[in-house]
Amino acid sequence: MAKARALDKRRKSVRNIRKITRTMELIATARFKKAMDRATAATAYTARITQLVKDLATTGLEVSHPLLEGREQTKRSVLLVLTANRGLCGGYNSAALRLAIEKRQELLELSESLQLYVSGKRGINGFRFRKIEIAESFTHFDDQPRFDEVELLANRYMNAYVTGQIDRLDVVHTQFISTARQQAVAETLLPLDSLGGDDDGDSDNTARESMYEFLPSAESILQEVVPTSFKVKLFKCFLDAAVSEQISRMVAMKSATENADKMIKDLSMQYNRARQGQITGELLELMGGVEALDG
Amino acid sequence: MATVTAHNVGKITQVIGSTFDAKFPEDQLPNIYNAVKVSSDQKGVKIDLTGEIQQHLGGGRVRCVALGSTDGMIRGLDCVDTGAPVSVPVGENTLGRVFNLLGEPIDGRGPVESAEKWPIHRESPALEDLSTKTELFETGIKVVDLLTPFVRGGKAGLFGGAGLGKTVILTELIARIASAHGGNSVFAGVGERTREGTDLWLEMQEAKIGDTGRSVIEQTCMVFGQMNEPPGARLRVALTGLTMAEYFRDTTGTDTLLFIDNIFRFSQAGSEVSALLGRMPSAVGYQPTLGTEMGELQERIASTSKGAITSVQAVYVPADDPTDPAPATAFGQLDAFIYLERSITEKGIYPAMDPLASNSRILDPQYVGDRHYTIARRVQTTLQRYQELQDIIAILGVDELSEEDKMVVHRARRLERFLSQPFLVAEVFTGKPGEITSLQDTIRSFEEICDGKWDHLPEQAFMYVGAVEQAEEQAKKMQK
Repeated sequence: MAKARALDKRRKSVRNIRKITRTMELIATARFKKAMDRATAATAYTARITQLVKDLATTGLEVSHPLLEGREQTKRSVLLVLTANRGLCGGYNSAALRLAIEKRQELLELSESLQLYVSGKRGINGFRFRKIEIAESFTHFDDQPRFDEVELLANRYMNAYVTGQIDRLDVVHTQFISTARQQAVAETLLPLDSLGGDDDGDSDNTARESMYEFLPSAESILQEVVPTSFKVKLFKCFLDAAVSEQISRMVAMKSATENADKMIKDLSMQYNRARQGQITGELLELMGGVEALDG
Repeated sequence: MATVTAHNVGKITQVIGSTFDAKFPEDQLPNIYNAVKVSSDQKGVKIDLTGEIQQHLGGGRVRCVALGSTDGMIRGLDCVDTGAPVSVPVGENTLGRVFNLLGEPIDGRGPVESAEKWPIHRESPALEDLSTKTELFETGIKVVDLLTPFVRGGKAGLFGGAGLGKTVILTELIARIASAHGGNSVFAGVGERTREGTDLWLEMQEAKIGDTGRSVIEQTCMVFGQMNEPPGARLRVALTGLTMAEYFRDTTGTDTLLFIDNIFRFSQAGSEVSALLGRMPSAVGYQPTLGTEMGELQERIASTSKGAITSVQAVYVPADDPTDPAPATAFGQLDAFIYLERSITEKGIYPAMDPLASNSRILDPQYVGDRHYTIARRVQTTLQRYQELQDIIAILGVDELSEEDKMVVHRARRLERFLSQPFLVAEVFTGKPGEITSLQDTIRSFEEICDGKWDHLPEQAFMYVGAVEQAEEQAKKMQK
């Protein structure tokens, strides 16, 4: 009975795993919808702001702002890595982590020092395992990152950049392209070299002429718009990451449930066969014994 | 063959399959294990059969196992007691020859002149004569030397289901050990394919011992009782081979090698005749005397103060179930056992040894040293952990593992592939020349892989190489 029992035990544990993955799949589906709504809502705002900045840029004004100015030498750079707090989401965390490590290596060659900021427990653990020092870590950005929280972070980076404490900011996060495709990307957010550069909008078709009148002055408007654009961009990274996390989890859990189903099926078949084989064996032995006694 | 003394003649009274009964005068009842001969020429059917007495049934009747075919036998035939068990020629003259279980040469080179003949039923060596020396026996096969080191003068078993490469490993070991070995070797083919026996015979004629220019066959004698023979023959052929090996051990004092392919057929033949002898079948239909028979055979394969027999035996595992009584009985008798696993052959890794199920008595710091022992256990722990993670990987994927476990999987997959090795005898199949890896190289290679020195090489580079440096070379070749 040894083999059959071992098989049954294994089947039970696979069943338990399946229960977890199935539940996770359902939760991820619900959360994905919410995160998706938020992201879509934000997209409209981002698009509008980007459009506005683009319009500003095309007015022919001499656009100058501290956040837009690149440094001649990159001495101190900052890398912000966005990962999830939880696992069970397929390759989401490891893809972001892998890219982050590559990017880090690249930045280390470019600049003198590098500060690493990590959001998400998985990323923190990943770096800790590789014995890479983290300047600061965050675990409070969950599946619904709030704008005011991101804004705090954005303000810190902006101040640091303006005052010259940092010379460059890169963000590694997972970009949400479609429900079927998410990709870990590294973006340079500071210096903001091209306004609205990440949007592949139809800038050529928009009117070249300015339809704005600047009051009190173009400079004062830039003072407002450029930081907002940066904050929105950073916020968008967080939102994208959150959506991607949920969709990755949904897909990963769906395939995990399917794998578990397949495994349960295989194990059941093996178990039944082992059990049947055992019964046949025992019957044969009994009959053989009876025959031998009769003969 | 034993001289036939004509004075003790019985009559056949019953023929049941491959056993028969004979009636002798009650005061001249032949002893158990005595050989009896039946010769007749009935209507053109020539019968020349040797039988072995197994039971006394009472009333002057004895029950015998036929060591040849019983076709054409009729009741009333004369049955002559030879007065002794089957005796076979032993000694120098048997070297280079091929025999059947009765000690008759079957290689077509004329009769064997031998001064001595020994009966195939003998006592096992006495308690005080046994040698307790324990020494490692290097084979040059990485996985064997690391995880299941052979004992010089000990017994090693190759367990495996159908088609996992038992015979290939056995032939490989013959090629490696016998060609480097100074003493004599005996090969017993028990119930396996005749073709394989012929192959081996031809191979041995070609293979040379070291630089001496003599072929391996000159130091080897072979005994065959293959699949086509009746159960009685397969039941006794192992004893014939063993007797010849015992002679070399006891008289020449050299280290003798004994290869048996396949010991399971011995148990199987026993079960085929057991019911015919009137014994009640035991677990899974085997003979009730399974353990006794195996014990009697295995206890004789022993090293004594006079000389040593190092034996390697292939053991077929029916239906890949090692709990089957026949392989299970053989299990306990061995110093080292190698378990071949189907799932490993499915990955294309040969030798398909299961690193977790295989073991050796001397894998112990006391015999192999601390370093060897620690590394062998590290390799096993890594592979063990990988196996435990298999289910999780199958369901959730490798990305869900913790960083530590990912590292374990990473190394385990490399170790797993590194356990493969090109064989001398498989050169025609793999296209790679065989690799003989020294024990030092083996231990160092595995240590370095466990330490993560070779993590950067692709998995495929570890397939079919000798020492780990060859994996590096292979990786370079793959990149081109």
